[in-house]
Amino acid sequence: MFRKLSICLSIIVLAAVCIMIIGCGGGESEAGTLQFYANGEDFVRQGFVSKDGWSIDFDHVYITLADINAYQTDPPYEPHSGDYIDGQVTVSLDKTYTVDLAEGGEDALPIAVDEVPDATAGHYNAISWKMVKAMSGPAAGHSLVMTGTAEKEGRVVEFTINIEEECGYSCGEYVGDERKGMVADGGTADLEMTFHFDHIFGDADTPLDDDLNLGAIGFGPFADTEDGGQVDINMTELHLGHVGEGHCHCLCE
Amino acid sequence: MCIKWKICTVIIFTVVLFLMLPMQAHAHGSKIEYVVDMMIEIVATYDSGEPMSGAQVVVYAPDDISTPWLTGICDDEGRYSFKPDTSMTGTYDVQVRQAGHGDIVHIPVGDGGTMSGSSGGYSTGQIALMSVCVIWGFIGTGLYFLRRKA
Repeated sequence: MFRKLSICLSIIVLAAVCIMIIGCGGGESEAGTLQFYANGEDFVRQGFVSKDGWSIDFDHVYITLADINAYQTDPPYEPHSGDYIDGQVTVSLDKTYTVDLAEGGEDALPIAVDEVPDATAGHYNAISWKMVKAMSGPAAGHSLVMTGTAEKEGRVVEFTINIEEECGYSCGEYVGDERKGMVADGGTADLEMTFHFDHIFGDADTPLDDDLNLGAIGFGPFADTEDGGQVDINMTELHLGHVGEGHCHCLCE
Repeated sequence: MCIKWKICTVIIFTVVLFLMLPMQAHAHGSKIEYVVDMMIEIVATYDSGEPMSGAQVVVYAPDDISTPWLTGICDDEGRYSFKPDTSMTGTYDVQVRQAGHGDIVHIPVGDGGTMSGSSGGYSTGQIALMSVCVIWGFIGTGLYFLRRKA
């Protein structure tokens, strides 16, 4: 009787240990949808006045994006470090996308790029992407193409600005009115790749001695360029890519 | 004699088991209590070194990282201070924004307001189950020696 009781108790304990091991082990993880957007902000959608007084309106702003990855990082990634993003969880978009940041008019929403439908739940607090040359389409051969009209003191210039530099951006957490990238089980979250075009042309609404305008090219050099001419642009120093108001480490070549 | 030896073995195992449990020592003497009351101060500046005077501050607490826990404004020197709720340990995320510029910093807060260490360890349930297994191991060993020979 005693022996049978001992055997029964041993089996119960063994079963409990097995259940614990299974509970600690794998099993299905929670997942949701993570959406990716590109945003040229009101600078692109509504136009603005450059630091040197040119009123710029964009018809199209084609940007080609590739190697888009989102990460759950702990500790949170610091873009100022310039380090490689080491994420505990990574989701990727494996295609190359050419989007028009000026699409949809003045009140348009950020441009939807793509989504990952089975992203592991958690907080995606870092993102990286590359701006690459398009292989086809309206931006073929260029990483960034801007077309539109600029006006200053009665002079009107229809412009097409082509950028061939390819850039990589490693960014921290989105900084804005609300936090982004929090994927709940069965839920949907989004991340945004933000492009600050005032960094290229400057902004007349910002003091001219502000670092933004001191580093910007303005529009004048582009207006003074004859057909086929080029303007030297250092895309690395212009820091075009952001995450909302949050920072990215940028390297262009 | 053999039975007595077996009983002694069981007793020894039981005593060893209790000795492995954490004990609290009591002694005469004085007692000093202290409280660490921590304040967190941030200083926000632009890349040029200029302070982000008047910048908007939003603090997210560890228990709800999507809802603002505290909001405020930086002073003329770009400084902002707040007292974390030390009952909520984890990372406090502090976001600062002004004129299209912004950044976010992540501040760890541990028990008693001290910096926390690394995470990890077992849950309460797992500890309880492991304890049961160890205890049963000792009991089972003792019972084995007490078994009646056929």
